[in-house]
Amino acid sequence: MNEIRNEERLIEACRQGDRESFRQLFELHKDRVWSVALHFIGDEAAARDITQQVFLKLFSVIGQFRGEAGFSTWLYRMVVNACLDEQRRRKRFLSFDFFKSGDGLSDGMSLMDQQQAKQFEQKLQAMAQEDHHAQLELSAAVKAAVKELKPKLRMAILLKYFEGLSYEEMASVLGCSAGTVASRLNRGHKELARRLQHLRSEVETRK
Amino acid sequence: MFGNHVHKQLSAYLHGELPAEDARRVADHLRDCGRCRTEFEDVEFGAQLAGQLKREQAPESLWAELEAAMSKEDFSRRRGAEKVEEARSKFGLSWPTLKLCLELAPVLILIGVGIVFVNRYFQPPQPDNRPSWEVTRLDGRPTVGKRQIAEKGRLPLGEWLTTDDASRAQISVGQIGEVKIEPNSRIQLVETQDDNHRLAMQRGKMEAFIWAPPRKFFVQTPSALAVDLGCSYTLEVTEDGTALLHVTMGWVAFEWQGRESFVPAEAKCVTRTGFGPGTPYFGDASAEFQLMLAAFDTGQADSLDSILALARKRDALTLWHLLARTDGEARGKVFDRLANLVPPPKKVTREGVLSGNPAMLDGWWKELGLGDTEWWRMWKGPLPTQAK
Repeated sequence: MNEIRNEERLIEACRQGDRESFRQLFELHKDRVWSVALHFIGDEAAARDITQQVFLKLFSVIGQFRGEAGFSTWLYRMVVNACLDEQRRRKRFLSFDFFKSGDGLSDGMSLMDQQQAKQFEQKLQAMAQEDHHAQLELSAAVKAAVKELKPKLRMAILLKYFEGLSYEEMASVLGCSAGTVASRLNRGHKELARRLQHLRSEVETRK
Repeated sequence: MFGNHVHKQLSAYLHGELPAEDARRVADHLRDCGRCRTEFEDVEFGAQLAGQLKREQAPESLWAELEAAMSKEDFSRRRGAEKVEEARSKFGLSWPTLKLCLELAPVLILIGVGIVFVNRYFQPPQPDNRPSWEVTRLDGRPTVGKRQIAEKGRLPLGEWLTTDDASRAQISVGQIGEVKIEPNSRIQLVETQDDNHRLAMQRGKMEAFIWAPPRKFFVQTPSALAVDLGCSYTLEVTEDGTALLHVTMGWVAFEWQGRESFVPAEAKCVTRTGFGPGTPYFGDASAEFQLMLAAFDTGQADSLDSILALARKRDALTLWHLLARTDGEARGKVFDRLANLVPPPKKVTREGVLSGNPAMLDGWWKELGLGDTEWWRMWKGPLPTQAK
């Protein structure tokens, strides 16, 4: 309760333009914003940009915060939007894949050859990925597997497990229904279980 | 009994998000339905895995960076307020008068924007004395700086040429060649002197055709410098700084911190941030060979055996480069395989190559049928320094 009052006091002071209160508010929330950004995007430079962007925006619009929604919900919405914007921006520039264009394969190869080569490459990549997961320590393997989830599933998992938000809160942050949140978490859990099947016994023994 | 499987509600059940009645129904169903129980075990396991995620600590320097950015923003805002105050005191304006001025401000701003627009688009631009290259619009609306170019424009030194997803442009590189810029690209003219024409490519794709002598045209990518050795090639740079070079005629070298790759026609080379130029390979090498090479170039030394096993005679280009990227036992393996594919001349010994003797490496190169090393060595020398 004290924490909530303290946060309310800080927000009010920030609205009056108190820079020191903003620094305290930043200290309270920086790790969660950073963690979501880092695990969603997967690279530190971009996570740094996103975190700075979110707090800079917060700094300029905190005067508009009226308290209808919880402050955290409001902040997470900014984080989610910034992460999704970055994801969309990255998607515009196709990820590098020198097989995808067919450049290395098309010259003198039949369509069948190309398909077989592509299937072979996918199989190799899947094997390499599984092998990669098998070699990593548990927490590193989880991070790597989370990074490979589809963005919507990944964000749902991050909000749930970093922030412990309820389904209603997540729905409000993500702009969808609680049912959709449940469905994304369900799919995210199953996908993680499938990718890290080989760690089941290790996790069981830690329980 | 199994008419209403509960697999969609398993996470909500696990997290205690279901109303009591629904939670009881799920529990009852799980007791009797093996299929949903198996799914629940998966969901539970996935949740245990996700539970391993730990919040990370933000870097210490973040506040300082943020504060600097905020001060900039705050300063501009405060300057605005101070100017209003100055206007009030300087002209002795009463509040109603000032209020009227403020109400009229949007109209004045609109007029100002109109003037800027007219100046920008309908008035001849101020003469720009910087050295520049001619740019021709091929498609869409390429821009130089913030200005869209018409059919033809100039790319001055230090400026960026940007194409969106529907734009293409062609640059005339002084008198020495042409570069086509494909959609979604961003290129800067960094230097243009007699013996040093240099572009920086942040992202996108370009197709260069250069007819000047070697080492006159350079493209700086985020992960390596592409040095023209008299040729035609395409260069593609992704947002993360990775670049793919595909030479269609002549030669190109990729250089980064003393590491070099020489790429002849029909060959390709990938350069990656933090790793520098990868090992060149011919585009018709098998997919598996290329995959293993990518693994080797990103630090997975154990893929070397597969590369050697898969190499054809034509892949001697790759193996020759690998001699310089391996040492000890690994270099010995590369030597043996390369010797098997292209026997070294008599003067080239195993000991000499393993010790990295440059004359022997050059001697062996001549046997590969890819031209004489002297051809590109004669152009080798200190790179022209970049003007500041």
